[in-house]
Amino acid sequence: MVFALAAGLTATSVVIGASDGSGGSGGGQGAARGVRPAAARYEQLSGDGLARQIGAMQTHLRGEPKDAESWAGLGSAYVEQARTSGDPTRYPQAEKAFARSLSLQPRDNDVALAGRASLAAARHDFRGALRDADQALKVNSYSQGALAVRVDALVELGRYQDAYKAAEKADSLRPGIPVFTRLGYVLELRGDPAGARRVLLRAQDSATSPSDIAYVSTALGQLAWNQGEYDTARRAYSTALRAVPGYLPALEGRGRTSVADGRQKAGIRDLEAVVRRYPLPAELAALGEAYEARGDRSLARRQYSVVGTWITLARANGVATDLDSALVAADHGEVREALKAARAEWDRRRTVHTADALAWALHRNGEDEKALEYAERAAGPGYRNAAFRYHRGVIEKSLGDDKSARRHLKAALDLNPGFSPTGARAAKAALKALGGAR
Amino acid sequence: MTAITKSLAALVSCALAAGGLTAAGVAVLQPGTAQASSHREAPLISGQPQYDATDVYAFVSPDKPDTTTMVVNVLPFQDPAGGPNFYKFAHDARYDLHVDNNGDGQGDLLFRWTFKDHLKNGDTFLYNTGPVNSLEDATLNFTQTYDLEVIKLKHQKAVARAKLGSDLPVAPSNVGKASMPDYQKLRDQAVRKIGYSGGSTAFAGQSDDPFFLDLRVFDLLYGGDMSEVGNDTLKGYNVQSMSLQVPTSALTESKDQPVIGVWATTHRQTADGDWTQVSRLGSPLVNEVVIPRKDKDKFNASAPWDDGQFLKFVQEPELPKLVEQIYKIKAPDTPRDDLVQAFLTGVPKLNQPPNVRPAEELRLNTSIPPTGSPKRLGVLDGDNAGFPNGRRLSDDVLDIALQAMEGELLGKKNDLGDAVDENDQKFGGSFPYLALPSSGSDAKAVSKSAGQSLLNGGSGIGSSSDDNMVLAGSAAAGGGAVLLLGLGFLWMRSRRRAPRMRRH
Repeated sequence: MVFALAAGLTATSVVIGASDGSGGSGGGQGAARGVRPAAARYEQLSGDGLARQIGAMQTHLRGEPKDAESWAGLGSAYVEQARTSGDPTRYPQAEKAFARSLSLQPRDNDVALAGRASLAAARHDFRGALRDADQALKVNSYSQGALAVRVDALVELGRYQDAYKAAEKADSLRPGIPVFTRLGYVLELRGDPAGARRVLLRAQDSATSPSDIAYVSTALGQLAWNQGEYDTARRAYSTALRAVPGYLPALEGRGRTSVADGRQKAGIRDLEAVVRRYPLPAELAALGEAYEARGDRSLARRQYSVVGTWITLARANGVATDLDSALVAADHGEVREALKAARAEWDRRRTVHTADALAWALHRNGEDEKALEYAERAAGPGYRNAAFRYHRGVIEKSLGDDKSARRHLKAALDLNPGFSPTGARAAKAALKALGGAR
Repeated sequence: MTAITKSLAALVSCALAAGGLTAAGVAVLQPGTAQASSHREAPLISGQPQYDATDVYAFVSPDKPDTTTMVVNVLPFQDPAGGPNFYKFAHDARYDLHVDNNGDGQGDLLFRWTFKDHLKNGDTFLYNTGPVNSLEDATLNFTQTYDLEVIKLKHQKAVARAKLGSDLPVAPSNVGKASMPDYQKLRDQAVRKIGYSGGSTAFAGQSDDPFFLDLRVFDLLYGGDMSEVGNDTLKGYNVQSMSLQVPTSALTESKDQPVIGVWATTHRQTADGDWTQVSRLGSPLVNEVVIPRKDKDKFNASAPWDDGQFLKFVQEPELPKLVEQIYKIKAPDTPRDDLVQAFLTGVPKLNQPPNVRPAEELRLNTSIPPTGSPKRLGVLDGDNAGFPNGRRLSDDVLDIALQAMEGELLGKKNDLGDAVDENDQKFGGSFPYLALPSSGSDAKAVSKSAGQSLLNGGSGIGSSSDDNMVLAGSAAAGGGAVLLLGLGFLWMRSRRRAPRMRRH
């Protein structure tokens, strides 16, 4: 099945979230009324109507180029826009805006420091993010942005206990959507999906803007999907899509859910729509695996080959392959490249995700003894993840530890039987080869 | 760059996924924009001004001088244009109005508003499904109600509680003439008598934002061109109001001690189900003009009792120094005891309670009778029934604060201001006094500001705007609270204009 080439290479096709829902009159003040607006206060930026808010701030800054706080606010708006749109060209602009703010006000500029922290996190420089967030908190211990980024950085550095403490503290000082969503994720990583659900429902109850509703509902969907609760997940994704029609993360979640519980056609339709707009390794692999499960090997291979091209491109430009690509490569591409990428990432940050990716890449390269060590590390903090359990079970089977292998393969399928259309199939086959779950 | 472009071109033309790569695809395919599923990029900006008190008013009711009216406003900059838009109070917040009636910096009474959302028809996400002629109409699909409670405190501990009202209706957002042909009627239905102290009245809902100022005064901080000020930048914007009129005797300590201090706080529910104070406001402009930027969040989380920590900002204010730099008007000598009185203790013989503990509260001497001809400059113009003795809707607090900053209370006459002297809408003669909210039908067509600019070197990412009113779209207006800039602001009315005649 071949789609017509997208005709317009329009910038609007970039928008992933943040449609201007009605009522989200971002940047409305002043700008809309033909007067030069005072700049938006950082705290009052919202995820909706960002383009207009940015326009208003730019207009203001053309008139008042010495306004340090507005430069920081503009930078934060750029970071948010990059997050919701996947447009990376906003990062250098954000960097310039923060630098400008800090040169105008080098001392006590917590807004610019918190903004710079969020930019570092977006670029996956989590140590830099932590450093800047801590600096911002020295100036203003109540900075919501800094408190939130601090949680992100600690999570991505694998410091889950510290992340939990940071999230609890952020919740007690500055409750709100940025903090609730992070606390929910930390709880899930600590193996407490019920707690995560409680917090995310609290966030959903508190969300008012379309972009926040879409984000929180999608997070609820992902949480439910991870526990194999497909009906709950589907309901959450449709809430997200009602708030922001076409919201890609929700579309992807809905697609994966449909594929997981046997509605292949609908699932593939959603995943194709995602990949058309956002051809990234994890999404391409999800679509490829759905094709494969349908028995369409050649279409599947085409998806995997785009991931391969991505990795080739990345290497040619001296960029380390990221974790997602490493996992896809381990399953569907160059296993050696996968191992290199996973090792590099593990050296940068020791998280459950990097441990699992390294374990899987080692196994695919025949190094099962070492692989097991990392698979066990991935299980350490208690995060309930079917793919992790499947990887571990397969590694144990290769090592001849049938009992453990059976236990973990069964646990994977019990938790989330459709965690991956191809992975689930392989898990069932391996379990059968081991004589079934006993 | 060309290498990348070439390989991207190769990529685009190579066997492709499910069709063509859009520009977005190409953008995200640029290496270096790694995305990892493990990294959940959650929202970083909250933009929820429904939790922030924007203004507090307290005055002896002009038409009922034995009562006192108090107003707390949240969620400013509600834009009726480009809508229909609707706005609501947070239902996971406690909106508190505190009354300190003995000057010890601690609340003795606390009025608490809590709100609930109601959806008549869950199958539709429309705010209203047809014309609304009454708050009871089935066509008003989304409504809010509120409970009002009074809590008596001793040493900051509750000693008695009473429900003053349950499930009282909130006046809706004015979404336009077609949907709400007679908005005044809806307003009137939302004004409720409550049985507190033998005759009180309550109102909550949308109103025209009574605050007036020219926001561009802030540009002064950066040496901006001030030749164009004099526009009320809040004109036509609405706000969510909570107001209450109660017998003065219920508020004051005694006949002999008629001075009360009031301030508003908002507590927001945490993920753990606790309540955290996220906003605090008494006198206007304090958090903008007096408190340094980096301490604003701290101020919002603090209590008047602890205001000693902010004393130095009042005694040694930044603003007059700035004015001196830009306008060569000499800053008054410090420490500024006159400002300590205006902002922290009340002014002796006007609104200072005995044995006062310095604390930021809006202090009102309830024994000063209201006047039939209020002066916009209040006390500075010899009208003691206005700011800084309490605050009436029509008080020009920006000019008053500015002139006080520059030493007016020290007898240093000046004539500073933003050239916006009154609200665009007339206030009512009886409770709740607030002007009706503007609707989309009143608003002029909005011209959206163009996205491309010198600053971003090209057009930004457009986002589609859809004007269907859905409930998810009840986002708070973003784009800037009223008082946004760190240190404050200043504007000198152009000396070339004929100076306003004023008696001192």
